[in-house]
Amino acid sequence: MSCENPSVDKDALMARRPKFDKTKQCVKCKERTGNVVIRHAVYCKSCFFPLISTRFRKSLEPSVNPTPDGPRRKALKASGSLLVGLSGGLGSTVMLDLVAKTYFGAPSVADLGEEAPPSKPKGGKEHPRNMTGKDSEIWRGVPAVCYVEVCGAFPGAEDRTERVRQVVESYATTSPPFAFDFIPLRLEDAFDLEWWKGVGELLFTPPPSSTPILALQAYLSSLPTQTAIHSATQTLVRLLLLYTAASRRASHVLLGTSLTSLSVNLISGIAQGAGFSVAEEAMEEWRGEGKSGELTPPIRIVRPLRDVGMKECAIWAWWCGLRIVGRERYLGGTQGIGSLTRNFITGLERDYPATVSTIARTCAKLTPKEGSDGVCLLCQRPAQHGVQEWKSRTSIRSYNHASFSSSGHERPPHLANATDRPQHRTEPSPSSHLTPHLCYACHTTLTSRSSRGNVKQTSDSKVVPLPLWVGASLSLVPTSEDSSGEVWATRRMGDGEMKAAIGDLLLNDS
Amino acid sequence: MSTDSNTMFLKIEFGGGLELLFSNQRSHRITIPSTVPADNNTSVTTKDAASPATRPADVTYLLHHLRDHLLKEREELFMENGTVRPGILVLINDTDWELEGEGEYLLKDGDEIVLISTLHGG
Ligand SMILES: [Zn+2]
Ligand SMILES: [Zn+2]
Repeated sequence: MSCENPSVDKDALMARRPKFDKTKQCVKCKERTGNVVIRHAVYCKSCFFPLISTRFRKSLEPSVNPTPDGPRRKALKASGSLLVGLSGGLGSTVMLDLVAKTYFGAPSVADLGEEAPPSKPKGGKEHPRNMTGKDSEIWRGVPAVCYVEVCGAFPGAEDRTERVRQVVESYATTSPPFAFDFIPLRLEDAFDLEWWKGVGELLFTPPPSSTPILALQAYLSSLPTQTAIHSATQTLVRLLLLYTAASRRASHVLLGTSLTSLSVNLISGIAQGAGFSVAEEAMEEWRGEGKSGELTPPIRIVRPLRDVGMKECAIWAWWCGLRIVGRERYLGGTQGIGSLTRNFITGLERDYPATVSTIARTCAKLTPKEGSDGVCLLCQRPAQHGVQEWKSRTSIRSYNHASFSSSGHERPPHLANATDRPQHRTEPSPSSHLTPHLCYACHTTLTSRSSRGNVKQTSDSKVVPLPLWVGASLSLVPTSEDSSGEVWATRRMGDGEMKAAIGDLLLNDS
Repeated sequence: MSTDSNTMFLKIEFGGGLELLFSNQRSHRITIPSTVPADNNTSVTTKDAASPATRPADVTYLLHHLRDHLLKEREELFMENGTVRPGILVLINDTDWELEGEGEYLLKDGDEIVLISTLHGG
């Protein structure tokens, strides 16, 4: 089998099923003529809304209570507040709408069906949990909607903050009105001390004379590939949301990852070496270090649309009249792993709609054979032991290696002029390193070479800033070794086990 | 609605960001011939003697018409292999076109066709 785009010749491999089973009648009410086909099943418009909101609640509600319910289902009661991540994209816009309508009294979805008159009050008897007040009975406090503007990473990209704000504020004009706290963040906040002081603890000396936006750009431009920039951006967004959630004592962060996007993330994650944390992509729990250094209560990251495809999201948005601001798709270019995977999954979903949910379900069952023995400093997901040794056994790391020299193999053309990164610099302790504290995926993101050549090498500076949560775990102090002040060494708080140079890891390759 | 039985009037709506390819205009009203060239050529009329092979106007023809006459940029984001690109949904009179025969649906005067992009992600 070749590596061509599989969507081209797919019909030669698998017979195309009819798009829907048997009749055009709705499978739910078995009365009305259907309006939409979802994974071969036909639904009418009136049955579509409860179908989607039921799937949403089934994905979210079992993780609301801190401990799973026994045989008898208890009332939903979260241990903290709610934070909704909104990207401006289709999935998260629909998720926000479902959250508002299901838990915070926005006009019910049932009102939108053709059968129900618009003035009909919400089904209070059926949904006693639903509230129309300032906060629901489920989460504490006022729920927040958090948006991370990524335009700082992509020159020329539009700043959508105000348009997203309008989406959030539109729920304050519904009847009954409900006001979310809107928290606009920016990608560069990950490098901004002012932001960090609000959510974390400042244990280290910050880098001098760099603005957050320059630090962000230096960080991203140090990465070896477009694909790496994409995954680094996703990691920044994720942790900005998590630290913000922790600062609000949130127990739940909701992300609008649809079934379609989940499958894309799972497949492209595995392709980029994140197989170890595949299960986390579907459901994860995170604890950060709070302002006083102790671990925060666990925050659950839930994707309540993980069983709802993009098609259903688009139809929901259309029938509910939602405005989609759109989002920057930082997929790493048209040939990046993210773009290729998305095109593949989108085509698969159209032609074989059931297979996409199979991907998600299969990946959710994956568990690593060996447990994690720590948390990756960069993405703060569980990390696997011994990444460095494993990598050194399975990949070609240096063409200067003796066995290659003696065997007479030549460098591939794209590496012919590259000099290998020195294995060790003049560190106090070359054996200690940031590497042992990274997961395999983050290590790959920071160091992998692209077969197409590296992206632009713009920065002369030898060492690159890192997100502040990394620096909070390693204390950053400038060394006197380099009079330009560009080299940073890292020193661990406490026993000095991690005396290492982050810079060594992040050096430009050529 | 149409006064000329040789043409039909259609309402076209774009959603989910697809309107960006169509002068950022969400709603369009267009008129197309009732009988169209079998090869989906939208630049000739069926009155031309040179194109004898015709068929009633269907959604596939409409897609070609939208591409040739309304699309302002980036054709590859709209059509692929003679139909809409994966990730673009089509509703015919508020019903999924998969229930209506997709591209083979024969258009009627006054039909409302909605095209929605799902590619803005979440
Ligand atoms: Zn029904
Ligand atoms: Zn990591």
